[in-house]
Amino acid sequence: MTREYAKDFTTKELIATFIARQVRDGERVAVGAGLHVPRAGILLAHLLYCPNVRLYVVMTFTNLLKEPKMEPFYTVTDFRPAKWAEAYVLHDDFQENPRLVSNLFVVGALQIDPYGNSNLIGVGEDYRHLTFRGPGAVGTTSMAHYVDRYYLYVQSHDRRIFVEKCDFISTVGWGEGGPDGRRRLGLPDNGPIYCITPLCIMDFEPQTKRMRLASVHPGVTVDDVVRNTGFELIIPDVVPETEPPTVEELQVLRQRIDVEGMLRI
Amino acid sequence: MIGPIAMVLERKSLVIDERDAASWIRDGMTIAIGGFINSSHPMAIVRQIIRRGVKGLTVVGPASGGLDLDLLIGAGCVRKLVTAYMGGEHYCPVAPMFRAAVERGELEVWECDEGMYYCALRAAAQGLPFTPWKAGIGTSFPEINPDIKVFNDPITGEPLLAIPAIKPDIAIIYAAHADPYGNVQHIGTGFGDRALWRAADRTIVQVERIIPNEEVRKNPLATSLYGVDAIVRAPYGSHPFAAPGYYIEDAEHLREYVAAATTYAKYGDRGPFEAYLRKYVLEPETHADYLQVIGIKRLIALHEY
Repeated sequence: MTREYAKDFTTKELIATFIARQVRDGERVAVGAGLHVPRAGILLAHLLYCPNVRLYVVMTFTNLLKEPKMEPFYTVTDFRPAKWAEAYVLHDDFQENPRLVSNLFVVGALQIDPYGNSNLIGVGEDYRHLTFRGPGAVGTTSMAHYVDRYYLYVQSHDRRIFVEKCDFISTVGWGEGGPDGRRRLGLPDNGPIYCITPLCIMDFEPQTKRMRLASVHPGVTVDDVVRNTGFELIIPDVVPETEPPTVEELQVLRQRIDVEGMLRI
Repeated sequence: MIGPIAMVLERKSLVIDERDAASWIRDGMTIAIGGFINSSHPMAIVRQIIRRGVKGLTVVGPASGGLDLDLLIGAGCVRKLVTAYMGGEHYCPVAPMFRAAVERGELEVWECDEGMYYCALRAAAQGLPFTPWKAGIGTSFPEINPDIKVFNDPITGEPLLAIPAIKPDIAIIYAAHADPYGNVQHIGTGFGDRALWRAADRTIVQVERIIPNEEVRKNPLATSLYGVDAIVRAPYGSHPFAAPGYYIEDAEHLREYVAAATTYAKYGDRGPFEAYLRKYVLEPETHADYLQVIGIKRLIALHEY
């Protein structure tokens, strides 16, 4: 079966589609409220490919297969989606077994280093005198540790984010690198899989665990990525374009998930 | 034979008002405040704490804190803050007064993530010195929060974090309903409120409505907290934040707050924040006076959901 690809789509729609392709049927998946693009991607996976995915939506568990379209919600405390709830998740219960909440997780960052270690705490050389105080780790440290797969996701791609060394690490990636970078720290091998940005998708080269360019989004050159990354990126001989959304994916995205058009602005 | 004398005893009502509740809070205490980011905060009590001018508090926020804590920080009540996030989601990425206070070295943060935060409360509830936690090995947390120690697990020899107990003197929690005797029923999940209640020495719960004990007995499974120490009745008491089953957050009011606080965080001008504080906190003497300032039209508009 050949896929019919869409011609006109935004970068956000492209990224949502990429994220949709990471989800496997039957697993538990947390749907964040604040990050519109990953949320749309996970819902797209659910509606098109993963009917049995167990969705964690703003402190509830549900299945949204039969919802004709998603009503928007913007905060993790929005109680309107509770009308879909098949179960409530008490927030203090999540640490009892975080894998009951989600098998995969998306982590945002103020800074990311070549090994995918990331920082949400703040920017500055001295913790007591930060030049920029960030929002804090939220649940990223623990969720990234317990889930099977986690993804780094940032909404801009520049040299302030992609740095040689993070000022602080709130979520550990592949540590100091190498094939056993995490095992040397006494951690399981579930470091970040991909780093997703508005310019490209990056993965981690298996031997060094350094970030490697995996694909560039349409209209972006390898040079654009290199210029906006503050450390040396591994560049393979051939860098493909990120796989575009299919006509069907885009249709479901626009008509059932992103009805407000948040991904089109 | 059971004599008539035994039947004349009365069960004591635990209902107090927000002024009584705030008088429990003294300078330097460790207090926990419930809810989650933009929902379910005991704001009638929080505003009264500010009016009383309480200082030097260690505030244990929810696992992820919101602009209620930002207001307390801006008003100068907080010395140290325990939470894993400080922002307002799409209203503001980082809480402005929090950001300003940390960058100016005026506020100590007990740095943690949500998992570590619940470890600290669980240790307090169980009377243990710490809870062991694996997530956070390889991060900066043990360096920037010296209370968190790395130790070797005596079973496997692998490194673990020891997250020490944090014990609130008083937890102040918002819920939908309670009877006068300390049986509390949340609408929705109650977020992490149970963890605060389990850890704290005493708990005050501010509710939308006080319901008869007979109502509680119809559905004891809905009782989320029991045996709490005091109940405060404050309709619209989570405003400007949401209250599950009652009202959504007041987006316009939150934007007004964020604009005022950001003027200080970005430009060092405290004027708009001080004006906010006067209009909405210091000048209204009671919770009812505050509601009058907000106005009935705005309040009932928030019921749409």
